[in-house]
Amino acid sequence: MTTTLSRPGVLPAVPVRPLVFAGTVTVCVALPWIVGAYQISLAASALVLGTLAMSTQLLVGVTGLPAFGQAAYFGVGAYTAALLANAGVTAGPVHLVAAASTGAAAALATAPIVLRTRATTFMMVTFAVQSLTATLASKWKPVTNGDDGLHTPAVRPWPGGPALTVNGFTYLYVLAAVLLLGLLMAVLLRSRLGLVLRGNADHEQRMAALGHRVTGELTLGYVAAGAFAGAGGALLIAVNRYVSPADMGFEVAAVTLLAAAIGAGSMTGAVVGAALVVFARDYLGGSTEHGPAFLGILFLLVAYGRPLVKRLRS
Amino acid sequence: MTLLQVDNLGRRYGGLHALQGVTLAVPVGARHGIIGPNGAGKSTLLNLIAGTVRPSTGTIVFDGKDLARLGPAARARRGIGRTWQHPAVFRRLTVTANVTLAVTRHALRAPARRPAVAARVQEVLERTGLTEHAAVPAGQLPYGLQRLLEFAVMLAAGPRLLLLDEPSAGLDPEETARLRAAVGALPEDVTTLLIDHNLDLVWSVCDTVTVLAQGRHLITGAPDAVRADESVRAAYLNVPAVPSAAARPVRTGRPLLRVTGLRAGYHGADVLSELELEIAEGDLVAVLGRNGAGKTTLLNALTGLVPTKPPTRIELDGTVLPPGRPHRVARAGVAIVPQGRRLFALTVAEHLEIAEATARRGDVYWTRAKVLELLPALAGRLSHHATRLSGGEQQMLALARALLTNPRLLILDEPSEGLAPAVVAHLATTLGVIASSGVTVLMAEQNLDLALRVTDRVLVLAEGRIALRSPVASLDRDRLHELVGA
Repeated sequence: MTTTLSRPGVLPAVPVRPLVFAGTVTVCVALPWIVGAYQISLAASALVLGTLAMSTQLLVGVTGLPAFGQAAYFGVGAYTAALLANAGVTAGPVHLVAAASTGAAAALATAPIVLRTRATTFMMVTFAVQSLTATLASKWKPVTNGDDGLHTPAVRPWPGGPALTVNGFTYLYVLAAVLLLGLLMAVLLRSRLGLVLRGNADHEQRMAALGHRVTGELTLGYVAAGAFAGAGGALLIAVNRYVSPADMGFEVAAVTLLAAAIGAGSMTGAVVGAALVVFARDYLGGSTEHGPAFLGILFLLVAYGRPLVKRLRS
Repeated sequence: MTLLQVDNLGRRYGGLHALQGVTLAVPVGARHGIIGPNGAGKSTLLNLIAGTVRPSTGTIVFDGKDLARLGPAARARRGIGRTWQHPAVFRRLTVTANVTLAVTRHALRAPARRPAVAARVQEVLERTGLTEHAAVPAGQLPYGLQRLLEFAVMLAAGPRLLLLDEPSAGLDPEETARLRAAVGALPEDVTTLLIDHNLDLVWSVCDTVTVLAQGRHLITGAPDAVRADESVRAAYLNVPAVPSAAARPVRTGRPLLRVTGLRAGYHGADVLSELELEIAEGDLVAVLGRNGAGKTTLLNALTGLVPTKPPTRIELDGTVLPPGRPHRVARAGVAIVPQGRRLFALTVAEHLEIAEATARRGDVYWTRAKVLELLPALAGRLSHHATRLSGGEQQMLALARALLTNPRLLILDEPSEGLAPAVVAHLATTLGVIASSGVTVLMAEQNLDLALRVTDRVLVLAEGRIALRSPVASLDRDRLHELVGA
């Protein structure tokens, strides 16, 4: 979104990007009428992972912090939505707001520990946050039902609306929510905070020397990323009607980072990356039982392909 | 009225006193210069005032307030602005975004609303002449413009005290003149603390000068008084005699390096186009030119660090050097002392070991013993980490690392950058000794005095071409000054 746009003289005069974006959205909306129920449920999963990838990209690609632990806040949001649904609150928008709030609160609570560190240490600490949170979800049985997880009733798109039990409708609800979240993210990236986060990624000492309260600014960014991850968790409940500690586990964290890496710093790229991950792991893998192999190949392609793309661009 | 009061300030690193018992009073509006040899503690003093380093002893009072408990950001909000030795800009952000980040509500003394911020940014860009580069990512600007941008970013934050850490390092003469004008044009109530090795700049800009040596305060006074002081001469200004290049036997050696059709550049645009070059064995050649003329690109292309394009052909003693393969170029006998030194996170001894391991096979002339004899400063520091060395020692280490590979062609990129006059003089002597051992030397340099004193021949680059090539003895100085903007 940023790196490709800022190359003067490369873009043709026709506004290609808005056209491509509009075309993609149209196809996404029409998807339930094009493909079958199984593919639609995969597409919904991809959107959920895409939200988590956006949250990760806000830290990795924009703020320059290699965050491994966003799955933790995703899990906090998912459990929030599940507990609400089991308590009789099934309105999706309420889930989204509540899950984003608890995700943000969890991020705020952990930010002081996490933001003491940078680079590889930051990655290790966020990894610790992720695994500790997942362990907590597995051990706190009275609330989370442990490793058996929580089953929930179907989510409704608005209070009193129809229950989302048909894959196509669930998908459209999730798509609408993700588009809204994407819009919010776009606004955030163009805001002062977005610029400040990029500045900190580039030269933190310079930011401090200009009087910026670096830790405070990074905390804001971290909390915002936590809110997006939490909202993603609410969407997980809409799609799966189930959450367990595995949904915030190591594998989820790893593939999220992979999706962000495929996106190479760009927010739309992260969502595309998430779609690629689900396509390789579940769609290709689902019919051949070689999902992990396809995922491994994708990892290698990213590791070797990104320098190649860079070279082609320059 | 005193704006900055420093009392008995000291900083220890282990057993090393980087700064010891320094007391200074800087009044509002002063232009205060700080000079001294490499390792005198100048940058430490500046970092202590900026808050990036904590003092071991002493106090710093700014505008009546003790700064001890304030971090760098809090000090910046109170009006302390700074630059770094290497331009600290946001490389991936545009020029506009760089300045926008400086316009905080502290700078505006009002909430940072979009229209107010945009107006201030516009004003800063126009005043500094950066408007035409507004949409360019800072990392893609030429070095001189990055320095200018850093200056603009610092000023946009509206500081009352400027800490300038070697602002003229790496600038060509014309850019230095512009810097002098910019410092001269600062509002009268803005106070400036300036560290620089360019003494002409310091004498002309500053009204008070402090000399530091080995972490201690030597003298503070008006520029004339400081220049005349005997102890200052002894510690810093005294430049030993250097054997001039003419004293060396004139060489009629066969060509060692032959370059034809050299094309190189970044992002599609050629920095160098169809460059032809021949250097005879044993020659000492200077590459001169303004910033952005292509000096570093040329040197890096020769060492294989920058990819070249056809029809480039680089031959060393008749053998074609493979393009884009720096390790093979190095094995063939080309060593570089890069700009900014690029040392490893290792000790001095480890640096030397690595270099020895990759020494060219055959007759090894430059052994560790010989190198340490040539650069005695390193001998006492073998177990020290490279980051703990002074600027001068770091440059010597970079030179030692290159020399131990026993190169046939030694390339140096801005070797005098950031070095005190006495160290520059020592460098000149050293290069003379290296050349007389039969090593061919090619160096890019902004310090014309040094370049013309040390070398036999000069090449002047302008806009990616060689605009002038001449022996130093018969050099057309007017033409040279016109080309480099002196």
